[in-house]
Amino acid sequence: MSPIITPEWVLKVDGLGKVFGPFTDESIAKTGSDRGTSKDSTTGSIVAAWDVSFEVAAGEALGVVGESGSGKSTVMRCIAGDQSTSVGSVHLRNIDGGNTNILHMSASTRRQLRIDQIAVVYQDPAEGLDLRVTAGGNIAAPLTAAGLRNFGAIRHRASELLSRTEVPLNRMDDVVRSFSGGMRQRVQLAKALANRPPIVLLDEPTTGLDASVAAGVLDLIRGLLEEFGLAAVVVSHDFSVIEMLTTRCIVMNHGRVVESALTDQLLEDPHHPYSQKLVSAARS
Amino acid sequence: MTTLLSQLLDETVGDTSDVPFALLDEYSKREIRRAILTAVAVPGYQVPFGSREMPVARGWGSGGLQVTLGVVGPLDTIKVIDQGDDQGVNAVNLRRLIVSSTGIPETTVAAESTIVQTRHRIPEDGLDTEHILVLQVPVPEPLRGVERDMRELARMHAEADYSKMWVSLYEDKVRNGVITQSTGYPCLVNGRYVIATTPIPRWDIPKLDNAPFLSLFGAGREKRIYAVPPHTKVEPLTFDDVPFEVEQTPGATCFRCTSSSSFLVEIPGAVSRWVCSDTDWCERHEGGLK
Amino acid sequence: MTKKLDPTMVLDVRKLYKEFVLHTVDGRTVEALNGISLTVSAGEHVALAGTSGAGKSSLLKSIYRTYKPSSGEVWFQLLDGTFVDLVGLTDAELATLRGTQIGYVSQFLRAAPRRSTFDIVAKSGMQRGMDISTAREAAAIALKKLNLDEALWDVSASVLSGGEKQRINLAAGTISPPRLLLLDEPVSALDPSNREAALELIDTLTHQGVAVLAVFHDIEAMERLATRVIVLQHGVVSYEGSPQQTLAKLAGVAR
Repeated sequence: MSPIITPEWVLKVDGLGKVFGPFTDESIAKTGSDRGTSKDSTTGSIVAAWDVSFEVAAGEALGVVGESGSGKSTVMRCIAGDQSTSVGSVHLRNIDGGNTNILHMSASTRRQLRIDQIAVVYQDPAEGLDLRVTAGGNIAAPLTAAGLRNFGAIRHRASELLSRTEVPLNRMDDVVRSFSGGMRQRVQLAKALANRPPIVLLDEPTTGLDASVAAGVLDLIRGLLEEFGLAAVVVSHDFSVIEMLTTRCIVMNHGRVVESALTDQLLEDPHHPYSQKLVSAARS
Repeated sequence: MTTLLSQLLDETVGDTSDVPFALLDEYSKREIRRAILTAVAVPGYQVPFGSREMPVARGWGSGGLQVTLGVVGPLDTIKVIDQGDDQGVNAVNLRRLIVSSTGIPETTVAAESTIVQTRHRIPEDGLDTEHILVLQVPVPEPLRGVERDMRELARMHAEADYSKMWVSLYEDKVRNGVITQSTGYPCLVNGRYVIATTPIPRWDIPKLDNAPFLSLFGAGREKRIYAVPPHTKVEPLTFDDVPFEVEQTPGATCFRCTSSSSFLVEIPGAVSRWVCSDTDWCERHEGGLK
Repeated sequence: MTKKLDPTMVLDVRKLYKEFVLHTVDGRTVEALNGISLTVSAGEHVALAGTSGAGKSSLLKSIYRTYKPSSGEVWFQLLDGTFVDLVGLTDAELATLRGTQIGYVSQFLRAAPRRSTFDIVAKSGMQRGMDISTAREAAAIALKKLNLDEALWDVSASVLSGGEKQRINLAAGTISPPRLLLLDEPVSALDPSNREAALELIDTLTHQGVAVLAVFHDIEAMERLATRVIVLQHGVVSYEGSPQQTLAKLAGVAR
């Protein structure tokens, strides 16, 4: 029993695995970081993620680092419910005190969780927003889904969130299609926070944005994570993002977790050969 | 078993001189009645049914007609209106068809009828616990404007996920200052399903709420039947702080009966004139009769 | 036979080794620490001295777990008196300790680009368990002590000078006295008067009972603050004594 009391987890992922196609124990053994592939040559199946476990507490941000194909986005989508999972469990403290594996819940119940338990910020804002709808309207969506029926209250809350994410209020009634990439991302953030979810999943939140724009958005995210005490999972291949936002992280390669460390330790003293490769490439 | 059934069907179809009561064969009536029963059991839920070929073209009341023919019996009295008018061309033809295939009496007075088939209006008065109101529906899907994918539509109704509808109402109010939906206003039935109220004006919406009569909605082209049972809650979708308003034209009165308490329609001309939409109601009130 | 842990010690480092295995350079090994043992008690200011490359920064980082030690123990006494080995703690446990009981101030300010000076310092206080109003008060006090002009408080830290950044670092690291404070060249970019204020602040902390393990390049600071000096050479402790003794010993050694 450790004498140090760490804050208890709000999100717990245990042995998460996702395989595209049929698989056996052999498929798992033939894939992974040390095998240098995610694909099982016999069946042609892809072991996109396997044996991924971590916990995140409120006010904590965990990084999931890896290159494309590492499985990091797959893990995020499995937790979000955008993707079905093959094995493993995901527990939320708010649901049944953390005793229910949400992966066993029906698709419609999982969708309910997306209203006020798990929010997702996608790399492409178009995936998380309706571009034909105004900025305020996009935020009205989760608010009405949660049962808010007062127009004035919806307007008020939407403008609160938009000003918190630094979207000029005179653009609240403009359709999102007319917004720049960075501004769209801010609207997506505002929408994600609308119902004050305890957990936020961010997938490459600033990839694709100009450097100066990205810096502002990252800064905003960091501030929001602290202010709202969110438990966040930040998926990124970009170490500057990981460094800015997270205190702990895991490194993924070919679907497996190869290293798990405090963020500053990963950046200054990476152990696994793959981690070292990634970090030195980032440093150069 | 199959041979026997096909024989039966052949026999029925082949013999055109012997038109069954209310046009439809018993199998068709049974299917329509089962759909109606399901619709009544789940208020507001759109029940699919196999829409038959009717002597009236699709989009002209074939659905409403099938519902009427499914529920009509020899003791009923029929009233048919089109936009409130018993003498509209379609109303006349439909009524003639119904009467000739059933032999039942017809009337223009709603209180004297038992079944009222209507296109786009609810009679101003006279409907009671004994009545069935059959509405002709062009588009039964209230979410059609916000979602095109059929599976997604089915999911939205199944999960009572109407947020896309709410967003469109929000956008409407933001863009126009008011919710501009005029006819066919979407309503929540029994606190569960959202329905398209066919293109009836806002004026008629309050009549559906907790009504003493049964309302049946038939869409022939889209092949759906839905229902609002008597004494069922029907609430127009609106925000708490945006009251639902019915049409008002201040100062307008019917030039025939001088009423200003019925739904009025404008007669185009050099000078604007208004007349009651419900012609029967107007006749009964002409000269101050009540 | 393991030596018993002394309850007067806040930090007890035992035979700490750190080597780096460089997989990206044909698996070569680089040794940074070759078996270091030392202790620091509450209210002690222990200065680390030695040539660059001797392992001073590596030692601090290995204690803070920015470097994961290869072997050895780093015993740390919690506020309630129990000892834990920092080497064996989980990441979550260490993250919790870092926020509350172990402080680390380096010469570099790592901050979000647009965070204001005041926010950085106040946030550090909140992390240490202060509520928002106490943290804000403490931040104001800390900043004033380090001569940081109020006009700069709302300014984004990234546009400030190296010296101003260092002082922000120091303010944030000391806002609520931690149990153990690790300092790595925290005043290198400060001009004489600001340096003076900073050293005074650090001195006060020692008097308040904070255990300090510090690397300073300048001898005067060491002389003034340190109660003990440990000299490192090639990753091992080569000498330990009072500041006067140590300086006398190093007198003839080229630096």
